[in-house]
Amino acid sequence: MQLICISRGSFAAGRELAEKLSRKLDVPCVGREELVDQATESGIPVGKLEMAMIKPHLFTERLARQKDHFRAYMTKAICERLLKHERLVYHGRTGHMLFRGIDNIFRVRVVAEMDYRIRAVMQRLHLDRDKARQYIEEVEEDRKRWVKEFYGVNWEEAVHYDVIINTSQMNLDNASSALCSMAQLPEFQLSPASRRSLEDLLLAARVRVALAQDPRTSEINVKVQAHRGSVTVTYMPQQARLAGRIPEVVESLEGIGGLTCTPANTNILWIQERYDPGEESFLQLVQIASKWGAAIELLRFTPEDTTEEGTAAVTEGPGLQTPSPSRAPVHFSKYNGGIEDDSDEPDGSLPDGGVRTTLKELTRVGVAGGARRIHGGQEKILAALDRTTPYSLVVVDSLFLSKGHAARTRATRELRNMLEQRLKVPVVGKEDLKSHFLFGRTQMLKLLGCLAAVSSIYAVVFKFQWQILGFLSPTETSGKICAAIAIALFVPLVAYLYGTATGLALKLLKME
Amino acid sequence: MHETLGQLFIPLDLSVAVQVIILGFIGGILSGFIGSGGAFFMTPGMMNLGVQGIVAVATNIAHKFGKAMMGSRKHGEMGNVDRKLGLFLVITSFAGIRLAVWITSLLFEGAGGGHGEGKGAGANLYISLVFICVLSLVAISMLRDALRARSEGEDAGPSRRITEVLAKLRLRPLIHFPVSDVKISLWILLVVGLATGYLAGTIGVGGFIGVPAMIYVFGVSTTVAAGTELFLAMFMGAFGALNYAYEGYVDIRLTLLLYLGSLVGVYLGVYGTKVVREVMIRLVTGVIIILCVLSRGIAIPMYLRQLGVLEMDPHWDFYFNGASKVLLFAAGVVGAGIILINVFRAYRQRAKVRASLATVAASASHEQIGAAKAVA
Repeated sequence: MQLICISRGSFAAGRELAEKLSRKLDVPCVGREELVDQATESGIPVGKLEMAMIKPHLFTERLARQKDHFRAYMTKAICERLLKHERLVYHGRTGHMLFRGIDNIFRVRVVAEMDYRIRAVMQRLHLDRDKARQYIEEVEEDRKRWVKEFYGVNWEEAVHYDVIINTSQMNLDNASSALCSMAQLPEFQLSPASRRSLEDLLLAARVRVALAQDPRTSEINVKVQAHRGSVTVTYMPQQARLAGRIPEVVESLEGIGGLTCTPANTNILWIQERYDPGEESFLQLVQIASKWGAAIELLRFTPEDTTEEGTAAVTEGPGLQTPSPSRAPVHFSKYNGGIEDDSDEPDGSLPDGGVRTTLKELTRVGVAGGARRIHGGQEKILAALDRTTPYSLVVVDSLFLSKGHAARTRATRELRNMLEQRLKVPVVGKEDLKSHFLFGRTQMLKLLGCLAAVSSIYAVVFKFQWQILGFLSPTETSGKICAAIAIALFVPLVAYLYGTATGLALKLLKME
Repeated sequence: MHETLGQLFIPLDLSVAVQVIILGFIGGILSGFIGSGGAFFMTPGMMNLGVQGIVAVATNIAHKFGKAMMGSRKHGEMGNVDRKLGLFLVITSFAGIRLAVWITSLLFEGAGGGHGEGKGAGANLYISLVFICVLSLVAISMLRDALRARSEGEDAGPSRRITEVLAKLRLRPLIHFPVSDVKISLWILLVVGLATGYLAGTIGVGGFIGVPAMIYVFGVSTTVAAGTELFLAMFMGAFGALNYAYEGYVDIRLTLLLYLGSLVGVYLGVYGTKVVREVMIRLVTGVIIILCVLSRGIAIPMYLRQLGVLEMDPHWDFYFNGASKVLLFAAGVVGAGIILINVFRAYRQRAKVRASLATVAASASHEQIGAAKAVA
């Protein structure tokens, strides 16, 4: 099985190259335009959505739903074609971003120098040179914004592609021949695990499209994940009434083995190598999720040198997964030619790092947000994450268990720093959960300290109010400067003390 | 000294103190719910309690300074602050604030105290007029959008015409802001910064210009706009507070009382945004703002009389001020009440759904695991 995604730079002959490649490989080819036409016919206002995403304005709830619907539609369309024909060439903007976390997709970027593109535009649209340049710049900017909005990445970054072809330096025949040869490499053949992940993606996309197209559920903002027939739907708590219709809508869909619905405003990502629902941090995290109205998404990360098991990213649903490969563990330290020798046959003989039991517990308490498993380097985590998913907190702990204490601490700290910089959300360890987000003895002492300080300040200010007002309303310049400095120092201090006390008091009352 | 200070600052008894705390609480709820500073409610509210307009603005801007500092820190942790954009706006907004403080101080010193007894009548009238003009525009556009969204059954955003026209202009030099990932003309930045600073300095509601401008004119995402606005508000608040404190207009007692209510209210308001629909948020906000505008409008004849522009029995001041006060408090109380009722309802509904889902999910997962074991 093979998926080749060609990201076309504007007017760089990407479509022609994709079509030539498809003919040479004798593989079906589908373009973004064809799928967009079909999506529009099915009722998704893609043109309006595109305008809304590339123009600076408020992105409404409805447009956000339509964006999600369109994304699911595109995923469904490509997955269905790929699973039917086994091989597919897709050309568009950054189609491979729809398949985050799936390894071995052949990702090609086609670019050309500005002069080449200007000539192409002048010829095609009969514009003069300056207008052609301006046109290209505007189109490029719009597409860049679209990709940024849609996938949260900069499409110009080379790291998102396996190969970049410059069509102003290489003719299309030679370029397609080179790509043809590269496409034979084992690194670009989808593994059985990838196929399974694609099936999960397809099921999730089918559910999302069905929910969007049914008038009973079309107004709900949902996120859908699937694993081997088990579907997890998270929705906004204020849409609980509409969410009651979800089972009615999806029950007729083929391939659904189970359905879990979780109301969630936001997501907490929990990255570990092993999970244990019996440990204290599990209860702490559940408490935090309940307070925030969040769903907890498990991401089991097994580093490269871990030999327990090895697979590509697999999406797992709550309480249902039987993920262990049936054969002997795959050792990734040894080159395997890109073919990942895994199977989707269940076998309880290998440990799943406690994911199954943890998910079961999370489902029981109503905060399950699905699970995934990633094996490899740290960058795999970022590659697998959907940047448009709103995470409020990332918990990273119990990783690199095969290393010594010092090395484990250092590697975990580096991973936390990297995630914090890239995801721009708080990234903490298990030990920080209580001190940062729950109420304990330290918080009680802090609360009492702040309250004592605030009470003293208020007592002094109101006891000597006229003297203080007199000090703050002087007539001479030096007094005015002193008054300004006093206000500048005093007001933030009170805000900090009282703000901290209020926050802690509400935390104590579980009213966050 | 008491006599001199008494002309500028009101005497505080328990009743007034409680009213200021309530003002802060309602302002805090509205602030957390709407995302603005809540000054549109607290500034006129304090004026209704007899606080001079300039003291009300100065006190509120000092209060906003500390609050924005806390909020900005929180947003900064979440990566929602575009510091480069904030700093560009800060520089120009300082000029706007300075202009606002200069005009207001001039009016406070020069106008009023002639025919009527109010020394600050000129400044009060000026602040009220700016307040009415700006917030009427905001409220009308907000209500129009909310009503349109309701009638069309969709939550479409406000008109994009201005945005598109400005985007097409591409006035150079254009500056790139990596965090927001937008390119903005320096000239548009200067205008927006100046307007934001001027309004923050005059009526203490710079956020009503800053946030929409960042979203609609600059194309910044809503979360980054809110975070950057707080970052900006921190500097503007500090600068405004320093300026007013230098002139001796900050009533620190009122600032402290406002904090007592507002910081609690903010938490409840923010929770409200998570559980109430966006159209409802806009509708409630628009109605509250329009009632605040009406409340300020009712007080205008009183200031006109004090300036000698309008011939009216001074005893009528009591009724105008009273009506204005009642309307403002009614707006705040009703608005905050609607928000709190929605918060409570949503919380209960959510708890109920969560409980039922947990039961269903538990039984479902037991069945599925049983089935999986049977297959194995």
